[in-house]
Amino acid sequence: MVGTNKGIRIGTMVLVYILLFATVLCMLVPYIWMLSSSLKLNKDVFSFPMQWIPANPRWGNFVDIWTRIPLDRFIYNTAKLSIIVTILQLLTSSFAAYAFSKLQFRGKNVLFLGYIATIAIPWQAYMVPQFILMRYMGLNNTHLAIILLQAFSAFGVFLMRQFYQGVPDELCEAARIDGLSEYGIWARIMLPLSKPALSTLTIFTFVATWNDFLGPMIYLTDTKLKTIQIGLRMFISQYSAEYGLIMAASVVSIIPVVIVFLALQKYFVQGVAASGIKG
Amino acid sequence: MKLKRFYGMTFATILSLSALAGCSGNNNNEGSAATAAPETGNTANASAEPKQDPVTLKWALWDWEATAYYQPLIDAYKAEHPNVTIEYVDLGSTDYMTMLSTQLSGGADLDVLTIKDIPGYSNLVKQNHLEPLKGFMGDKNIDPSVYGGTVEQIEVNDEVYALPFRSDFWVVYYNKDLFDKAGVEYPSNDMTFDQYDELARKMTSGSGSEKVYGAHYHTWRSAVQLFGILDGKNNVVGGNYDFLKPTYERILKEQEDGIVMDYATLKTSSTHYSGVFYNNSVAMMNMGSWFIATQIEKVKSGESQSTNWGIVKYPHPDGVEAGTTLGTITSLAVNQKSKNKEAALDFMNFVTGEEGAKVIASTGTIPAIKNDEVISSITSIDGFPTDDNSKAALTTVQTYLEMPMHEKSADIEVILNEAHDNIMTKNASIDEGLKDMNTRVQQLLNN
Amino acid sequence: MQNETILDTKKIPKRHLSKGVRENLVAYSFIAPNFIGFAVFTLVPMFFAFILAFVKWDGANPMKYIGLDNFTRLIKDTTFHKALWNTIVYTIGVVPFTMIVALALAILLNQKIMARNFMRTVFFFPYVASLVAVAAVWNFIFSPTMGPINNILHTLTGIPLEDLPRWAADKHWAMFTVILFTVWKNMGYYMVIYLAGLQGINPELYEAAELDGANAWRRFRNVTIPQLAPTSFFVLMILVINSFKVYDIFINLFAGADNQLNDSTRVMVYQIYNTAFRSLDYGYASAMAIVLFLLVLGITIVQFRGEKKYGQ
Repeated sequence: MVGTNKGIRIGTMVLVYILLFATVLCMLVPYIWMLSSSLKLNKDVFSFPMQWIPANPRWGNFVDIWTRIPLDRFIYNTAKLSIIVTILQLLTSSFAAYAFSKLQFRGKNVLFLGYIATIAIPWQAYMVPQFILMRYMGLNNTHLAIILLQAFSAFGVFLMRQFYQGVPDELCEAARIDGLSEYGIWARIMLPLSKPALSTLTIFTFVATWNDFLGPMIYLTDTKLKTIQIGLRMFISQYSAEYGLIMAASVVSIIPVVIVFLALQKYFVQGVAASGIKG
Repeated sequence: MKLKRFYGMTFATILSLSALAGCSGNNNNEGSAATAAPETGNTANASAEPKQDPVTLKWALWDWEATAYYQPLIDAYKAEHPNVTIEYVDLGSTDYMTMLSTQLSGGADLDVLTIKDIPGYSNLVKQNHLEPLKGFMGDKNIDPSVYGGTVEQIEVNDEVYALPFRSDFWVVYYNKDLFDKAGVEYPSNDMTFDQYDELARKMTSGSGSEKVYGAHYHTWRSAVQLFGILDGKNNVVGGNYDFLKPTYERILKEQEDGIVMDYATLKTSSTHYSGVFYNNSVAMMNMGSWFIATQIEKVKSGESQSTNWGIVKYPHPDGVEAGTTLGTITSLAVNQKSKNKEAALDFMNFVTGEEGAKVIASTGTIPAIKNDEVISSITSIDGFPTDDNSKAALTTVQTYLEMPMHEKSADIEVILNEAHDNIMTKNASIDEGLKDMNTRVQQLLNN
Repeated sequence: MQNETILDTKKIPKRHLSKGVRENLVAYSFIAPNFIGFAVFTLVPMFFAFILAFVKWDGANPMKYIGLDNFTRLIKDTTFHKALWNTIVYTIGVVPFTMIVALALAILLNQKIMARNFMRTVFFFPYVASLVAVAAVWNFIFSPTMGPINNILHTLTGIPLEDLPRWAADKHWAMFTVILFTVWKNMGYYMVIYLAGLQGINPELYEAAELDGANAWRRFRNVTIPQLAPTSFFVLMILVINSFKVYDIFINLFAGADNQLNDSTRVMVYQIYNTAFRSLDYGYASAMAIVLFLLVLGITIVQFRGEKKYGQ
């Protein structure tokens, strides 16, 4: 019996590996294409037949993207916005999610449902009233406007709350008996336990802010405040679309995000066993 | 606890009501970048002694980096008016007019506005964002006739809200090297549609990566549809589009026979018309005169390999005079809520007047005031084709606006674009597409 | 807040705030930071936007109250119906597909296999990369005559290029193309969420099940799936909402130079955007937004009830 099981297991593993690597290859093809395009002249990017390895690699593209548009400034702006928004989101969302998950209070369900419901409303629907409000507050053309728009989202609350649902109530009860205040419980117990969820929220918020287009488009009209996505669009002018440069800039702008992702990866590996649920 | 929710609602209501009130007025304190201090990187620096009070104007435009004439205009104006600082606000060229309208509706303090197309212009007029100009024109004795009839075409209810500073019209670009290689005579300044078609078929050769296409139609509706209006008998806001059938039939046949690139492929691969011309892949291309400056520059930089090129006048239907073509104008308008209206109007006057025209022409772009002096200054630019035909091609006899001024032009544009896309991708037959246009536009006009 | 023990609260006589009220206040204080920012910068504009549905406004001139006219107009608007239909079809295509793929990936990449971290990053890549760039790449790969997909199909099957599907430019295949693209782009995102959820499952539960003699499939069914319920609910909700709200993907994949979508690819948010900003009909656009909202709200409520029944 054991022998056959093992045989099947190895067979399945091999199959799975093959499938996985095939899929990974498919996933990577667009990136290889992007990389190769980033070394081409604009007119050659979409040429046919496809040249995987450019005949005359134009390393100059990677220099041009810094001189043609203030890419360094854009990266700085985007990083600044992404970091601030992410930190604010993490704090306020996990804070609020604790209440929705572990505390009883009046209006809990209705308020939560209301929160989720607002996620459903597309931003385009209230974009203009929001813009007018921001202008009224004098926040037009400031980074603060973007921060205030993005930092307080229902999405973060939703995500954290779902995660907290999976944490047994007994833990909190035990802590209460031990005399911990609710704030203490949140800080000492919930927060450490929720590292996977926090990492997830960090990645999402960071990436969402990093790639956000419409927000900066509307609110940041000063060139020195603009972000990477807007910068990329500057290569698509009325009379040309410089895809070589767009690809080069895209390659460059992916790097910080990948770093963040890799850094947070290990937090996914955190087992619950390590956090002391036993007993 | 209901109390908190109640306060929340009241707070929200108060805020929204005041936001409503704030819509019309402009009473917020300038917490954002104060207009007086030129701390942004966008300013052209003012010189030492201001004779009058320093004024800063915000100029809404697109493609700052890629457009040759913005900075020279600012510099030329600054030389005469040292107290005026001009900050540009680049809203990007994709959806520029929508962005401009959103900014203005939200109360942004833009002074001088560049107007990119007629449908967007029509919307801005409807929203009362633009300062009416007839009074100003009377005061300064601005004669609309120097603009070749285009000002009359953008009048709304007997009032004018923008003045053109740049005019472009369509011509045919052709690759002399390809013609030489094929031993075919160059296109002339007097071609009918049939002659153009014939020439394109003669020039198509090869296959695969060596293929040379006789002609090239960019994915814009204007590159194909508007052949149909050149006889002056129809326009695109009338509601009946059956007159477009012969045009579409001819173009689709060319596409089927491989004379031009497949529309669906062009659209999905975002192929730009400049690229195919630079690559020596097309023998002829109908395109606007704005491409002249770009082509000259790219030949100099080496990116364009079609170094031996020329232009000729647009092909025309039988019986119509050569030199009849399509055109667009780019204009300047002034924000009705501008706090520096006088200065803004003055700048607008500069750019749209003779002085501005000289500056614009020096960069290889065709200004709205198109007299002989201007034309010859363009043809004498280094890089402009030296043959006589190309020089003659810059003279036009009759220009039809791509999209005439109409109250509903924005919505009509949407419908026409969709139908064009369906026909060219073969998702609808020509008859179906035209019927769709007819029905929907008529519905729109009758509402 | 001072430390209190249960004994204390039972003995101390009634103060001016009862325990219930105090608990409520504590709870509200947790919610406050997020809620206040949210209320001011998002809720207020939303509220205002809803009011807009009952007026006629072009963004600049004064508003005109017209009651329910916008809504009655919606009932007859066939363009709107098509947009609604397209959005629903898109959602039905994307949601189950993405959930299954993401869950499978998460489970797979949760095992101890080689290069696991590398693969997790690779699958997450599409989500992270700039949409403009990946859409351009995807379009090129699926290009009707120049792209590798059609050329490979042509070589394999011998069907001439003109007769092969034109993918993004083809009204029959456009929806399929965009669903495929969406799943490809977003599966990393949902995979990450599932990974976090999987990490939160107590391994003792698996041990117990194994001791009871359950095989891999049974363990999956009886431990993994129920434990993942809150996560699955979240994924389902967000997927549905994001699919209904889709806009950027369609614009970058299908819109040509004129930034327009045609009949077969027109989605709700695009219609809202166009109506508001191109046709300058903010009131009508808001009415559409309300319909979209109510639709999603309805689905959300159903799912919410489902979670309560199915979850702990």
